[in-house]
Order: sequence, then C-alpha cells, then structure tokens
Amino acid sequence: MTITGLIGLSIVASFFGLMIIFNVVRGGSTKADLRPISAYTKLKRAIGLAVEDGSQIHVSLGRGGVTSPQSASAFVGLSMLEQVIRIASAGDRPPVATAGNAALSILAQDTIHGTSEKIELKSKKTSSGELRGLTPFSYAVGTMPTIRDDRVSANILAGWYGNEVIWLTAAGKRQNSFTMAGTAHLPAQAVMYSTVEEPLIGEELFAGGAYLGAGPMHISSLKVQDVFRWILVGGILIGILLKFAGFGQLIENILVGTP
Amino acid sequence: MKFKFRAPLATAIAMSVGLVVLSGYFIPAAEPLRFILLRVGMVLAAVALLVGVINLLSVHIRKMADKDSNSWNSFILVVALLATLGIGFYDMFKAYMYGNPNFEWTNWIFTYIQRPIETSLMAVMAVSLVYAATYLLRRKMNYLAIGFFFIVLLVLLGSISLSMMNFPILKDIRSWIVHIPAVGGARGLLLGIALGTITTGLRIIMGTDRPYEG
Repeated sequence: MTITGLIGLSIVASFFGLMIIFNVVRGGSTKADLRPISAYTKLKRAIGLAVEDGSQIHVSLGRGGVTSPQSASAFVGLSMLEQVIRIASAGDRPPVATAGNAALSILAQDTIHGTSEKIELKSKKTSSGELRGLTPFSYAVGTMPTIRDDRVSANILAGWYGNEVIWLTAAGKRQNSFTMAGTAHLPAQAVMYSTVEEPLIGEELFAGGAYLGAGPMHISSLKVQDVFRWILVGGILIGILLKFAGFGQLIENILVGTP
Repeated sequence: MKFKFRAPLATAIAMSVGLVVLSGYFIPAAEPLRFILLRVGMVLAAVALLVGVINLLSVHIRKMADKDSNSWNSFILVVALLATLGIGFYDMFKAYMYGNPNFEWTNWIFTYIQRPIETSLMAVMAVSLVYAATYLLRRKMNYLAIGFFFIVLLVLLGSISLSMMNFPILKDIRSWIVHIPAVGGARGLLLGIALGTITTGLRIIMGTDRPYEG
C-alpha cells in the first residue's frame, strides 16, 4: 500500500469513527446549535406557505450519475426530497421531483414511495418522481414547464448541474417563485450565485439534511466536517512552513504517493 | 405480522458493496473485486436507462391527455422518441442481418437533428449567461455583487485577442485573477465540497441514508 493509500484509508476511518462517536456523544439528539443559513430558513418558510395555500414544491435532483463523484450532491437532493415530503405531507399537493439521470429518477421514486409508506401518506397524495431528459439541455428544457407551472410555489435545485441551470433559475425568477439552488459543480455555482435569491455556496448544500431535520447523523456529519476543516487549515499552514524550510520535495513525494 | 424483506436486503447489499468499492481504492488486494462491482454497476445503470426511458414515455403519454399548452410538446416528444427508437432498431437489424454496422440513419439523426439543436441551445445559453451577469447588479447592488461583476468584466477584457484592444496590463490582471484568487477560492470551495462528499458517501455506507428502500 502506498503512503497516499494509507493516508486516504486513515482519513476515511477517522471520518467513520468520528461520525459514530459524535452521534453517540450527542445521544442521537436532533437538536443542534447550527449557524443560520438564510436559504434553509427561507425554504422552511416557503414549505409552510405551500402547505397553507395548497401549492406544490418542486425538487430538482439534477443530472448527476449515481456511479460517479457527481452522485454526492444528488444524494443530498434525495435527503432533502425525503424531508420535504415529510414536512409538506399536511398539504394538498405532494411535492414533485425531477431528475436528468435514469438511475437517479428510480432512486427518487424509491425515496418517494419509502417516505410515503413511513409517514402513511394516502396513495392519492403520493408525489411523483420523473425523468425529464437524458442530456443536460433536454433535462433543463424538460424541467422548465414544471417551474413555470402556476401551481408550483417553491423550487429546490439540489444536485449536479452545468451552466444550463441558468434556464431553471431564470424560469423560477420569471415565475416569481422561491428558488433555492446548490450544486457541487463550481461553474454552475457561479451561475446560481448571480441568478438565484438563495444560492448555496460551497459545502452549504451538504448541510441540507442537518438543517431540514433529516436525523442526528447529518448533524454529526457537520461536526466531523468542522473538525476536518480545522485539520486541513492546520495542514495547509504547516505545509507552507515546511516548504519555506526547504522540505517542499518531501511534501510532493508524499502527495504523489512515493513510499 | 407483515415482515418487509426488501428494505433490509437492499440496505445490506448497498452497505457491503459500498464497503468493498471503498476499500478497493486503498487496499490493492480488493481492487479486482472493486472493478467487477463497478462493471456490474455500469450494466445496471444501462438497464436503469431503459427503465428511465419507459418512465419518460409513460409520463408524457399521460400528459398528452391533459388539455393544456404542454400536451403538444409531450406529443412531439413521444413521436420523436418512438421514431428514433424505431430507426435505432432498424439500424441494429441491418447491422446483424446484413453485416452493415454503420448505423447510417441513427448517425443522420444525431448529425442533422440532435447536434444542430444542442448547438443552438448552447448559443442561447451564452446569451442567457450574459443576461444573468447584468441581472446580478439589478438584483443585488452590494459590494460583493459589484466586485463579482467587475472581475468578470476584467477577465473578459483580458481575454480579447483583437490587436487594437490588446492591452498587456489587462492580460496581466486577468492572468493574476485566474491563477491566484480564483484558483485559491476554487480550491477552498472544493475542499469543503470534498468533506461534504465524504460524509454523504459514508452515511450511505453506514445505512443511515437509504434512498433505495422504497
């Protein structure tokens, strides 16, 4: 095993261990003192309003494949979808989910059925999970009619998108509906920043489950991310100092995995 | 008592496959098994594609019955999908029966219909992106938005290759923006995303997030 492999394994093991430790220490509590993220605060309000006025919430899961690194943001979108179905279950219209990847649309339908069964939602109120296109543009164009639908009052864009997300965010703006958008793709984040009222920047998307009450493990995950963020900051500073001290080659060897 | 067998089985499969694939990245002995599982995953993803297309078709057939303005769009989609599918099957039939695997008609559809449409959509997207950049100033008139807008402007000006508008200082500014603050900021964001990605993946391997249990 290379040094890089060993470091990678120890990092994953540390994440794993710390997530369990934090969860046990917190006693599985779902209460946490999280910093306010206005997107999630406004989203909860938008869901409440949708329940009150009988309108619909649209959850767009993007077009990321489930066998690639793009899947992480889509899985966060699925967690959000589950929470939105739970919170909006008292409303007249169930949320609608759209996906631009076939496997993702199947997972969306599974999430909808699983959550509906758990909360014993009547079958007539069950949400729908639909595949809207298999290419980036066809997905964007296929999803626009849902956003432009007068019955939809809020849009949650949580998944993998490219620059074509501009059409979805612009459609939401034109419709005057609440739109919250987050992705792991940096160019699309820049587009979202300039067009969405409530963009999720960086890792804020991955905090969605914790903010929407998806369970104690989501809060523990946030705490572990904080721990590792500080470790990374320390590591970067130490790396800079070592480079100034003339150990640059050693660091490069470690990073490329030379034993 | 009704015992649901499907959910625990799906969770067990997801957790064990996830663990094997993850360990394959770090432990060389587990690498062959990782490749086998990934290949199986690819095949299943292809089957999912077929299921997804059937879902797409059924959704739009249902929508065709609605009396709204989008029902015509659904009709066009269904006709186009079935026509493309039919032509694809015809090309496959020709390839296997007459040994002529050039997929002539399928290629024609991609070259003369799909590609021009996607190209024109890309052009529309470029206009939309410019509109979005100007719209930002109308919507959020704060220091961050103004900074964002002028940095975009500087980078664009520094990218101009016309000789009469080719100012070396603009090129230097662009190069500095692209290579120092932009790269630093992007790395910071990517580190945060990587941390979020790891915890999301681990929650699925632990079985606390189960998007497959319906």
